[in-house]
Amino acid sequence: MKKLISLILVLALTLTAVAVLAEETAATPIDKEAFDALLSEGPVAADDAIAASTWATKVKEAGILRVGGTRTSFLFSQLDETDNGIRGFDAALYQLLARYILGDASKFELTQVTSSTRESVLTEDQVDAVFATYSITPSRQEVISFAGPYFTSRYAILIKAGNTEITGLDSLAGKIVATQAGSTGPKVIEEYAPEAIVQEFEDDISARTAVEQGRADAYVTDYTLILNSIVKNPGVYALSEQFGNDDPYGIGLPKDSDGVAFVNDFLKAIEADGTWAKIWKITLGDRTGIEEVPQPPVIE
Amino acid sequence: MSVQALLTEYGDKYLQALLTTWRLTAVSFAAAFLIGIVITVLRVCPIRPLRLFGDFYVQIFRNIPGAALLILLVYALPYLQIIFPYDVCVLIATVLIPSAFCSEHLMSGMNTISPGQIEAARALGLTFFQMIRRIVIPQALRSTVLPMTNLLVATMLTTSLASQVPMRPHDLTGIVSYINTRDAGGVTAFAISAVLYCGTALVIGRIGSLIDRKVRILR
Amino acid sequence: MTRTSIRDMLYEAPGPKAQKRIRFFTGLALLLLAALLAAIIRQFSVTGQFAEKYWSFFAKITTWRFLGEGLLTTLKAALTGSAIAFALGFLLMRGKLRRNRILRAVSTVLIEFTRGVPTLLFIYFFFLVVPKTGWKPSAFWKITLPCAISACGVVAEALRSGVNAVPKGQTEAALSLGLTETRLFYKVVFPQAFRFVIPSLIAELVIVLKDTTFAYIVTCADLMQNAKVLISNHDAMLSVYLVVAVIYILINYILNKISDRLALKLRRMPAEGSKA
Repeated sequence: MKKLISLILVLALTLTAVAVLAEETAATPIDKEAFDALLSEGPVAADDAIAASTWATKVKEAGILRVGGTRTSFLFSQLDETDNGIRGFDAALYQLLARYILGDASKFELTQVTSSTRESVLTEDQVDAVFATYSITPSRQEVISFAGPYFTSRYAILIKAGNTEITGLDSLAGKIVATQAGSTGPKVIEEYAPEAIVQEFEDDISARTAVEQGRADAYVTDYTLILNSIVKNPGVYALSEQFGNDDPYGIGLPKDSDGVAFVNDFLKAIEADGTWAKIWKITLGDRTGIEEVPQPPVIE
Repeated sequence: MSVQALLTEYGDKYLQALLTTWRLTAVSFAAAFLIGIVITVLRVCPIRPLRLFGDFYVQIFRNIPGAALLILLVYALPYLQIIFPYDVCVLIATVLIPSAFCSEHLMSGMNTISPGQIEAARALGLTFFQMIRRIVIPQALRSTVLPMTNLLVATMLTTSLASQVPMRPHDLTGIVSYINTRDAGGVTAFAISAVLYCGTALVIGRIGSLIDRKVRILR
Repeated sequence: MTRTSIRDMLYEAPGPKAQKRIRFFTGLALLLLAALLAAIIRQFSVTGQFAEKYWSFFAKITTWRFLGEGLLTTLKAALTGSAIAFALGFLLMRGKLRRNRILRAVSTVLIEFTRGVPTLLFIYFFFLVVPKTGWKPSAFWKITLPCAISACGVVAEALRSGVNAVPKGQTEAALSLGLTETRLFYKVVFPQAFRFVIPSLIAELVIVLKDTTFAYIVTCADLMQNAKVLISNHDAMLSVYLVVAVIYILINYILNKISDRLALKLRRMPAEGSKA
């Protein structure tokens, strides 16, 4: 027993020593104050607008917005364990939506989803909406409905820095290309680089780690995610090529729900009053070094 | 989906998965067994650092969860620039963990040997290695046939870890996930895999009891 | 005979030549182990894994609190799973010991089934198939129930061997005193059987705890999932997974030690009225 306790103490002390002696260095962190301030200033819907939508009324009566999302997407929705705040582009949107319906940005409940469970949590009524860098595709629209689009991104190829073999889409033939399971990645690769060997991974960090470690030659996913990987790890990765059409992200909602119209009104409101641009700047622009804020996509 | 439909569509994949699982189990068990013997010898030899190392090894690999070990091997080790291909990672995990339990079984098997034999051996002038080779290990093995049979089954269950990495061909667990993402496999997909696992376990158990009855030492 | 007796007997009181040999090899072994440790540390520093950004957040108490929350969920899942496994295992054990042949057969089939199928398969079942049937358990139950089902077969067999280990004389004596079968089971046989079996039940708790690490499949926020949040927040895979692995190993190690201590104590304590 004594040996065990002393072993634990030694381990704890070593860890603390290493931790304390190390200094804090990180890629540009998010401006927490600006983010939180933005959340508290968001618009609130009028009561009759809520009453006109059965989806919104349901949320209002429940008193909480059930969101399907993630806690581990650094740019879009990342949980900060120091203060339990979730911040990112998607996170801003769903917290603002919570404020829009319920008056308080913190009245939401996050259920972790993966790219393979995004539809089932909606069809089984486990969540009210899904915010998860969710690309709008016709096959998904057979099962659920999308509000938005609220963001667009082209695809891009991530390679290891110094890799001269891969110069673009054509050079992917025969190479091992990583992608996220259940995302639009596999289909995109099939369309643009059919000769590539596809390897599916559970999440973004596993896929790009595979490239870093040489298990995969390239990683194909949305341009913003790739930019995030490059910025967070200077010198490790390189961008090979952006390609494809603009991939629109939408907010997942139950099929044919009238929430689509309601959430679209919300999106138009925040785009009109400049909140969308501010979110983009705080969560994406400042952290990836892109100065120019793009125009929000048109909502039909 | 009915059993018929599933079998016609995926029958060959199931067979492949079954063979993959069997292959993994057999190779892992053989390696784990050998390592287990080595570690046990280390744990009883007179050199204290080696004994401590053996004990340490056993404590780590019997207490670490399989998922944690696999994740360390696949995702974390490469940061130390030690990169293994996926199937090697799975193999390492399915070998190291059972090897620790194998050593534990052998140690309890050793305790069934009456100390009088050891005293007699020492009186006859046998060296440590001779004692181990001629007296301790043969008897320990014969008394541990049943626990080793259970270990073989446990090794087979551990090979389901292969479903957690992109490994081709799939094992019996990975194939169920594969089928379910492409079809509404439903309960039948699971039932087939489950029956195959169970069946193998039962056969192993039977053979194990037979062997045990033959070589069991009656005291 | 305690565990270490054979170990110590194999080479007690070596003569002077043997002592010199042992000292030599001990020194050699120490050198080899030290070299191994040095190589590991060197590899860490060469690949930059001792860099500040991978470890500095461990100095913050919020990191540990966050890991602690995950650990709490893990422990809750493990304890709940074990409790359910015990209840199910108890039922199966009773079924197998009954005289009714059908009940015996059904129990045996269920026990062999849960023992022969890997926990991962059960977890995938709860993850992929169960939601489609209309029953939607929360993520917590989606990991706890499959772990419980997987363990109940082993628990049933352990309880059965405990019951068989109780001397038959007790049953006979109780029957001749006029106790009904049920009363005699619950008042006489089971309490003693349970005492024999506690160490293997704790061993099963360790196994259930290890199985809960697959909670990431059903997205339940246990220790491993919280580790992923830390990893994506600080981009530090190796350090976080190492620390988490050490936490698991320590907890399981402690549980095993408790089980060993209990086994020793119970063996020395004579059961009431038995001939032990």
